[in-house]
Amino acid sequence: MHFPPPSRFLGQTGKERVEGAFFFFPSATSSFLLRFPVGDLNRRIPKKKEGSQIAVVQIDYLEGRMSGQGQRLTVVPTVTMLGVMKARLVGATRGHALLKKKSDALTVQFRAILKKIVTTKESMGEIMRASSFALTEAKYVAGENIKHVVLESVKSASLRVRSRQENVAGVKLPRFEHFSDPGAGDTKADLTGLARGGQQIQACRAAHIKAIEVLVELASLQTSFLTLDEAIKTTNRRVNALENVIKPRLENTINYIRGELDELEREDFFRLKKIQGYKKREIERQLQAAKQFAEEQFAEKVSLKKGISINSAHNLLVAGAEKDEDIIF
Amino acid sequence: MYGFEALTFNIHGGYLEAIVRGHRSGLLTAADYNNLCQCETLDDIKMHLSATEYGPYLQNEPSPLHTTTIVEKCTLKLVDEYKHMLCQATEPLSTFLEYITYGHMIDNVVLIVTGTLHERDVQELLEKCHPLGMFDSIATLAVAQNMHELYRLVLVDTPLAPYFSECITSEDLDDMNIEIMRNTLYKAYLEDFYKFCQKPGGATAEIMSDLLAFEADRRAVNITINSIGTELTRDDRRKLYSNFGLLYPYGHEELAACEDIDQCVCHYLFQAKEICRSPSASPSVIGSYAIPWEMLMSWHS
Repeated sequence: MHFPPPSRFLGQTGKERVEGAFFFFPSATSSFLLRFPVGDLNRRIPKKKEGSQIAVVQIDYLEGRMSGQGQRLTVVPTVTMLGVMKARLVGATRGHALLKKKSDALTVQFRAILKKIVTTKESMGEIMRASSFALTEAKYVAGENIKHVVLESVKSASLRVRSRQENVAGVKLPRFEHFSDPGAGDTKADLTGLARGGQQIQACRAAHIKAIEVLVELASLQTSFLTLDEAIKTTNRRVNALENVIKPRLENTINYIRGELDELEREDFFRLKKIQGYKKREIERQLQAAKQFAEEQFAEKVSLKKGISINSAHNLLVAGAEKDEDIIF
Repeated sequence: MYGFEALTFNIHGGYLEAIVRGHRSGLLTAADYNNLCQCETLDDIKMHLSATEYGPYLQNEPSPLHTTTIVEKCTLKLVDEYKHMLCQATEPLSTFLEYITYGHMIDNVVLIVTGTLHERDVQELLEKCHPLGMFDSIATLAVAQNMHELYRLVLVDTPLAPYFSECITSEDLDDMNIEIMRNTLYKAYLEDFYKFCQKPGGATAEIMSDLLAFEADRRAVNITINSIGTELTRDDRRKLYSNFGLLYPYGHEELAACEDIDQCVCHYLFQAKEICRSPSASPSVIGSYAIPWEMLMSWHS
């Protein structure tokens, strides 16, 4: 038999318990919901799973609104729960402030990197142009084939790039740097273009080394730019989530618990008052009954003195309606 | 018999002389270069060049032009003209024209040998060779395992054979740095060319000896300057200087001893002064010495 839910559950929470509203929940809780028929949920007190918070299991809607502002967690409205919620609110506030500071620091870094990227790109354009022209000069003096000659005589690169991690405001950014590999053959004492073009080839080599430096720096800046962008987005997401969802939810929960506790207290108070009233009425009734009895006794005594028993006369009249074996009427 | 060469000249050289004059008038002038400087894109350059002798070679190229394509096609024109002249020439002009290509042949041989040493693909290497320096058995250079085989199998049939056998023994070939080998071969080639030019005498000997002397001296100065600060020893340097030219022999001694660009410039100036004072110098020689002087000054600064 399905009893209607007690009024106190309906009074504070939404008028409608929309069954379909539970699809907002993360899928981990859906199995929990499936185990119990929905109608019983109004009365169900959620069991605490090991290590997890009760709070993530269910979310009620205040006054039937679907916005994040109106949500609160479903909890047992006890005093300990109130303490727990208050502690969590304090934690959320502190976390929010810290994340905001982190987001600001990251944004400052981001702007600085952006400025550097712009200048580096411009200088890269200049330097690449200069190095291409140095290559053309070398080709002009030492013959068109110089590119092939140099390429054929090289076994492995002598200028290499390596990467390392740098920690900036808590975010790990990659940084590239170039270094010259000493084992990969001599670079300075190369005899290419001995008879013609040697100077131009060395100048071309120097120009290209500068170009590599600029390119490596630009690569580090751009990867840091992308990584920082991701980090800023995540941090801002968290800040907004804390500010607009978690904290209002916790505040609403705290208000709800307070409200419930107040109502419990009022109920108790009311119950107490009611019982007091009963007791008082009981006492009064007894007093009244005692008084009446005393009066009747007095009246009896008086009538007996006069020779009549009112009580017995009464009794006869009353008893006459009943069956008595002694009376043979 | 001086003065009567013009009687019989046309029999052998008339056609080619006419062709050469035609080419001379087809060279790009200062106005052409100015126009090319005004161009903004590669298509503009193609348009300007289509009005010159290079037009037919660039016409059929598809629209997104690349700088290497333009260079390739222009070189192709040079090669075609050269081959045409070579076909029409008789002795000794044909040998003379072939001598011009030996320098490129040396470059190609060195390129292929280096590439083979580093295990590159033969086809790629062949594509990178200069077209003027190709000869028939060039692809077989990639097959040889060491220098001795290389010489025995391939080079002995080419006109480069005497350069190898004269200057380089087979042990040297294995150890030597590739640049030093190239320069040694080139030295031998220059000397050979010089000797060949002296044989016909007359105008050939006069003009060519000036040009070749200038080339030898220029190379000597270049080698000196470029080998300062490298591992090339003085004796090696000395071996790379050709044994003709105006700096030979005393200038070479001085140059071999140089360790600094400033010293080099001083010696060069001294030599050039001596040369200019000597009675055998012709104005063309002095003029030709002015050009490398400018180059030296730009290095120095």
